[in-house]
Amino acid sequence: MNASSLQAEALTAGYGERRVLDNASVDIAPGQLTAIVGANACGKSTLLRVLSRLIAPASGRVLLDGSAIDGMAARKLARRIGFLPQSPMAPEGISVLELVSRGRHPHQGLFRRWSAADEAAVADALAATGLLALAERAVDELSGGQRQRVWIAMALAQQTNVLLLDEPTTFLDINHQIEVLDLLTELNHTRGTTVVMVLHELNLAARYADTLIAMAGGRVYAAGTPETVLTEATVREVFGLESRVIEDPVTGKPMMIPLGRHGGVGSATRSS
Amino acid sequence: MNHATPAQRAELSALRRGRFRRRRGTLALLAAGLLVGVLVTLALGQSYTPLSTVARVLVGVDVPGASFTVGELRLPRAVACLLAGACFGLGGVAFQTLLRNPLASPDIIGISSGASAGAVFAIVALAWSGPAVALVAVAAGLGVALLIYLLSWRDGVTGARLILIGIGLAAMLQSVTAYLLMQAPSWSLQEALRWITGSVNGVRLTQALPLSLALALLGGLLLSRRADLDALRLGDELAAGLGVRLGVTRIVVVLASVGLVAFATAVTGPIAFVAFLSGPIAARISGQSGSLLLPAALVGALLVLASDYAGQFLLPARYPVGIVTGVLGAPYLVYLIVRDNQRKGAL
Repeated sequence: MNASSLQAEALTAGYGERRVLDNASVDIAPGQLTAIVGANACGKSTLLRVLSRLIAPASGRVLLDGSAIDGMAARKLARRIGFLPQSPMAPEGISVLELVSRGRHPHQGLFRRWSAADEAAVADALAATGLLALAERAVDELSGGQRQRVWIAMALAQQTNVLLLDEPTTFLDINHQIEVLDLLTELNHTRGTTVVMVLHELNLAARYADTLIAMAGGRVYAAGTPETVLTEATVREVFGLESRVIEDPVTGKPMMIPLGRHGGVGSATRSS
Repeated sequence: MNHATPAQRAELSALRRGRFRRRRGTLALLAAGLLVGVLVTLALGQSYTPLSTVARVLVGVDVPGASFTVGELRLPRAVACLLAGACFGLGGVAFQTLLRNPLASPDIIGISSGASAGAVFAIVALAWSGPAVALVAVAAGLGVALLIYLLSWRDGVTGARLILIGIGLAAMLQSVTAYLLMQAPSWSLQEALRWITGSVNGVRLTQALPLSLALALLGGLLLSRRADLDALRLGDELAAGLGVRLGVTRIVVVLASVGLVAFATAVTGPIAFVAFLSGPIAARISGQSGSLLLPAALVGALLVLASDYAGQFLLPARYPVGIVTGVLGAPYLVYLIVRDNQRKGAL
């Protein structure tokens, strides 16, 4: 599968009168794993929605492999860009197999029946996410981590070159957060899928992403490698937080330690 | 990244085939139930008519006595039950799927009441009859749908607000119907009841033709969108991400569903709760595999047919079909509201 590039040029967007994106431009190279970080309401989820065309920008445009996505047919676009919203809801009682099969929707037409290619895509998606043994189970009976893998499997079955995810690790225990991020890294490495995700957890973002995009006030504040983006100055500007950034002893990536008002000194340390 | 082995693939295919077979089995069972139901209602009323005689009447042989009871009384009734039930079932499940809420059924949110008020207005105030009445009913149903949409719009439409406004409109439109009926005191109670709870009394075979056309056209239109409706059950954003054109799909589904419900209402009145009940019953018996449209249409037809038969012959007095379905549907409505209240404190 070929990797795809995604560019946003001077995007402005909002809901009603409220402007959420303000002249935001990003350039996502083919086959990159990109994490968008920033404080609440900085426009990161909106940027993801404009990139996936769920929201039309007021001005600016999005280019997929160099061509604008706004005129593209819906199914055609859905064969190239996949989107996973934050904590989606599964219909009551739907099975894992059934849900993952929905990922084939853009590949099917009015009269096109379920094909061997569809079956293979679903089977591979289940194998990649380790869900083959759970295929018959109802999604609402699974644990949070398993459920998130089901949604990712659905996106895999969609077989897009670009996958956009809105906070894929929210509400998950730390072990399941790592599991999901490992899975996305694997997908990125083996299939060359361009992955763009909004992440809350800065240190996980720096650890897993090739590129970090830090947003503030609807604009892109900084974009580049984790080493260049995750600095004490960025954390101060983007989150309004004093911090210390050190080198992660395991990965060598930057790691942020928040200082807070007490200079990082907790009551236990002070009293001793 | 792991790939599935051929054996694993084959296993999944077998799973899928099994589900498909079960689904076909359910549909066949429902269809068989309908066939048996139709035969029973044709053969067994106040008097018993042997099936051989029923068959002769159906192919057009003139049998003294039976031609009237079967051909004039029972057959139009059965046909109206089937067609109206299927229309209500389809329209209901399509709305429930589109808005992802079982309470968002056309008979709960006032669309049936609107169509009924429109039909009564056309008959009483305009002295119209026939297809013109159906068209007024359709127009009124669409008008109500538009009104609900406009009234519940505030930076987008949320399901709960839309449903509450719909319930309010339904109550208002029912009083409009009652008012119009009171302006026409020459009407029989039976006839008036049709427009309040729904009834197939005195229905004629000629009324079935426009209804079957509406069912074929609008039902077909809905069926052509069944994959999109399936995707919409995952939520608007995911559906859009899967390539569903939300705007077009919403308009097509709303127009087709309102049309189905309104055409049926123009013939039988707003048969209570059939649109509301068919989808959830279909989901219960057919499982979550595949589209609910066809199962819900069959369930709706069966529900109306069986309820009408019960209302005529199995209960101590004769009741119009809408009273029977109303008794069935009301507890379920209460159950849904209580359950949703416990779950999240809102609709």
